[in-house]
Amino acid sequence: MSQERGDGNPLTTYFGLEEIGDSQVEQKLTELKRRKTTRRLYTLLGIIFGGGLFLFSLNAVGFSLGELIRQWPEFVNALGGYFPPTTIFGFIPFVDVGQYWTFMIDAGLIFEFEDGTGGIFGPMYGKQIVGPGAMFITLAIAFAGTVLGVPLALILSVLASERVVPYPFNFGFRAIMSVIRSIPALVWVLILIPLGGVGSFTATLAVGIDTVGYLGRLLTDELEEISEGPIEGIRSVGASKSQIVSFGMLSQVFREFIAWLAFDLEHNVRVAIGLGIIGAGGLGLELNIQRRTFNYTEMMACILLILLLVGAVEYLSQRVRSSLREGDDVETEGILTILWKAPKRIVSATAGRGRDRDR
Amino acid sequence: MSTLTVDDVSKYYGDVTAVEGVSFEIEDEFAILLGESGAGKSTMLRCINGLTSPSEGEIRLNGEPVNSSRSDIGMIFQQHNLVEGVSAYLNALNGGLSRTSVLKSIFQWQGRDDKKQALDALETVGLLEEAHQTVSQMSGGQQQRVGIARALVQNPRLLLADEPVASLDPSSAETVMAYLKKAAVEHDVTALVSLHQVNIAAYFGERFIGLRDGGLLFDVKRDELTPALIDDLYGDVETVGLADNRQGDDELHPESIGETAEERVEL
Repeated sequence: MSQERGDGNPLTTYFGLEEIGDSQVEQKLTELKRRKTTRRLYTLLGIIFGGGLFLFSLNAVGFSLGELIRQWPEFVNALGGYFPPTTIFGFIPFVDVGQYWTFMIDAGLIFEFEDGTGGIFGPMYGKQIVGPGAMFITLAIAFAGTVLGVPLALILSVLASERVVPYPFNFGFRAIMSVIRSIPALVWVLILIPLGGVGSFTATLAVGIDTVGYLGRLLTDELEEISEGPIEGIRSVGASKSQIVSFGMLSQVFREFIAWLAFDLEHNVRVAIGLGIIGAGGLGLELNIQRRTFNYTEMMACILLILLLVGAVEYLSQRVRSSLREGDDVETEGILTILWKAPKRIVSATAGRGRDRDR
Repeated sequence: MSTLTVDDVSKYYGDVTAVEGVSFEIEDEFAILLGESGAGKSTMLRCINGLTSPSEGEIRLNGEPVNSSRSDIGMIFQQHNLVEGVSAYLNALNGGLSRTSVLKSIFQWQGRDDKKQALDALETVGLLEEAHQTVSQMSGGQQQRVGIARALVQNPRLLLADEPVASLDPSSAETVMAYLKKAAVEHDVTALVSLHQVNIAAYFGERFIGLRDGGLLFDVKRDELTPALIDDLYGDVETVGLADNRQGDDELHPESIGETAEERVEL
């Protein structure tokens, strides 16, 4: 084994398949090269396998570039529907926002209207509000569902915590939440149709069940992180077992609980829109009706309201969460000041001076 | 007026002896438990509090075994063990949990007396103004004072403190000790405090119990506490090369504590 450097085949030495010398360093070098070769082989295998899977998937879904090219004019046509063109002052091209607005009023997306002269809008428009519109139905599904889900989420998350229920048994409660999560809310609605029919009521139940799975899981994780000190502190004052749970454990995660609750409400608004599409009412339902009749402008009106609704809920939830963080960086400025200062804050945050404590 | 009796107590963890054959009795005193880390101070306090039970011997409070009377014993921890996300007031209120039903305590339907008592306790430790403040925003010394307030709300007959000032800077440590002493004196409660700052101990203590290697080394009144006893307690420091730092320091200096702490706390 006493070969001089360069004696062997350059290819086999490059891949570390041949010794290049017998000093310890040279042996180590060969070993490192061999390891690198192994790693390259695995990478190659991975690329081949991943590429094969990708091609198989494209084939399975019938993906074809030809189809995209053939359908392109149709899509451009639809774009004209999504964003109906008009001109401002007769010459500046712009999107005809009035069409969206007309549909929102006619279809009762924001409020249900009726001809009449009462209420705020009555005298001016000849229509009066008779009830909440599709947007509020969606919001109601999300809110009511969240509230219904919270108690069970709380109970299950406490029971799933190892500090309350000893080790193998707490996994039973974790499993319940896991099963709930593995079935999407869309499927829960289908399961519950015999119970509540196709409609907002069933959707609310489905959102509630979904909340139990998700919020419960998030709380369980928070409860795993709590410190032992306060629990011992509460135990030392002679508190009962359930007082130890509520004052030693739950009060440690109260802020986190509210923050996750706000986050889950946000999530549930999106879920409620999805449920609407399969018939649960609200904005999703209206969107689907317009899709079936190829009314692209009306579809876009629904989508704009969805953006508005989700954006508003997300903004509120974000404010709640940030005000729950430590008091020192609670936002005390008005919304206009915040918007005005936003660019500066974004710059300073990306420059690393800001603190990123958002979840 | 209460008496703590520790009667021939031993505690073993497997083969390890934490405390062996310790007996003492304290009555209406502010007693200090001294000893090195690992001498058995914490184990002793945990046994008295009932967080663990002694392997042998018996601990009685006013003649009754302590495990039947946990709410009678207020415990103050080195790491405060407060609920950090809530206010000082709610933490103090938690001291009364054993008197309140679960439902009432969850909805904060404690009687006005309990609520007043929580505020009274905060006043005793000089934190009435800060009652609404979130504990996590307080300094270490303030947090420990909230811990004292919580223990007071229990209406304890015995106050235990496990290294209450070990994680504080010297000035805060003196302030906290002064408030602890004030609390014990005002509420007429027997107290047992484990410490390792000898000067602070010598200033505030009325009675000194020294543990070494789990056994009782001395049990003396304030005027019987001598530097020689302290040297016995902490062993031969010179062997670890600290002799130079101790030059000219073979006296106890309780007087170095007094004025500053007393100025801050009206005893």
